[in-house]
Amino acid sequence: MGYLSESFVTAVGMIFSFDREVQLAVWTSLYTSSCSIVIAALIGIPAGLWLGIKQFRGRRLMITLLNTLMALPTVVVGLVLFGIFSRQGPLGSLGLLFTPWAMIAGQTVLAAPIVANYVMATVNGADKRIMDTALTLGATPFQAGVQLLKEIRFGVMAAVIAGFGRVIAEVGVAMMLGGNIRGTTRTMTTAIALETSKGEFAFGLSLGIVLLSVALFVNLFLNFLQQR
Amino acid sequence: MQPVISIRDVLLCHDKGFRLSIDNLDLLQGQIYALTGPNGSGKSTLLRIMALLALPQKGTVCFAGDGTVDITEQRQRVTLVEQSPYLFQGTVSENLQYGLKLRGVEKDEQNRRIKLMLSIVGLEGFEQRMAKELSGGEIQRVALARALVFKPDLLLLDEPTANIDSNSLQAFEALLSKLTRYGVTVVFSTHDLSQSDRLGAELLQIENGHLINRPNGAQDNNDANKWRNSHG
Repeated sequence: MGYLSESFVTAVGMIFSFDREVQLAVWTSLYTSSCSIVIAALIGIPAGLWLGIKQFRGRRLMITLLNTLMALPTVVVGLVLFGIFSRQGPLGSLGLLFTPWAMIAGQTVLAAPIVANYVMATVNGADKRIMDTALTLGATPFQAGVQLLKEIRFGVMAAVIAGFGRVIAEVGVAMMLGGNIRGTTRTMTTAIALETSKGEFAFGLSLGIVLLSVALFVNLFLNFLQQR
Repeated sequence: MQPVISIRDVLLCHDKGFRLSIDNLDLLQGQIYALTGPNGSGKSTLLRIMALLALPQKGTVCFAGDGTVDITEQRQRVTLVEQSPYLFQGTVSENLQYGLKLRGVEKDEQNRRIKLMLSIVGLEGFEQRMAKELSGGEIQRVALARALVFKPDLLLLDEPTANIDSNSLQAFEALLSKLTRYGVTVVFSTHDLSQSDRLGAELLQIENGHLINRPNGAQDNNDANKWRNSHG
């Protein structure tokens, strides 16, 4: 117990002394996760809305594909994109491997299906009269879709937050595509993995506390919005 | 009198085997029509076809006027109030603003019309009330005000008095009578034939997806064809 409690005290001390290493890892995590969730939302929200509203041939297949993409192991995404971004790969000339951009691309691939799937489920569960009401009041199908999104905005927010939770907590993509480079691509999760393996348990614990705090803050924010 | 809407050779088949088939129907401007028939006869489906919310597999639904083929422009001339209308989240005023904003009505004019329309439906001072806090009858009246505030040519009401009390019913019927004087064509579905008598409405009787009578004021085929040709 002494080891754990001492590590905990040291970890809290590192957080409140604004330890430079902790700050860098937190910033990289927040920066890459925020960028990827914005892109994932821009792709996933319209895709989920479209799949939820439209009836077309092949819709079931697309939903099955989306469900499969939701369960993609992060290391598989990392592996595939590593092949694409590596020097011999099709996008190797862009020099993106081991940069935050490669991590953002990988995290977007992880988050977009989650956002799309949650939005689609919310649309399916929404009141069927919303679209017809908007249309009969004179909206175009696009404007009616926007109105539907406004009516189900909390479900959409929950979708985005679920996607954010997935990317900020993942290790595989950040490790394989970012390379865990200090100050550039080292995120909270990769730093925890590295530092703990080096025996720096207190450092890992401090980042773990920050990760939990981020999760808590995001959920409190969601609750606050839902109660408004 | 010019028809507001002309329906020709319309056929709509549902997955469950129901067929709605209307050969020829013209509804005239400023008239009030009562759509009657047993449950499942196709009243709501016909209203949805007129509102361009259900698109038939065959046939045409034409609105009088500029001959536009843009479905949204056509939809902006007609509106349907369902039996259990949906009010958007937010205030009563925001609900009434929705159709006005889509039509580019200026803010001052929006406020003037909203105030007037709420007073007409007996809901003065309800502008800032939250839609979700209203009773069933109030929801019905807000939905009616929301439909009327942008001055549609054709107002479709699916069993509009099913959820309102007797006092509101009288006010509602008085309002419908008044609307036709302003040139609005009203079609409402009902099971209450005495209501159509009280309103002086022409009967549209529907059974098993077929109209079994034509309204007295409807044009004959030749006149209708002339009108259709002249509007493309």
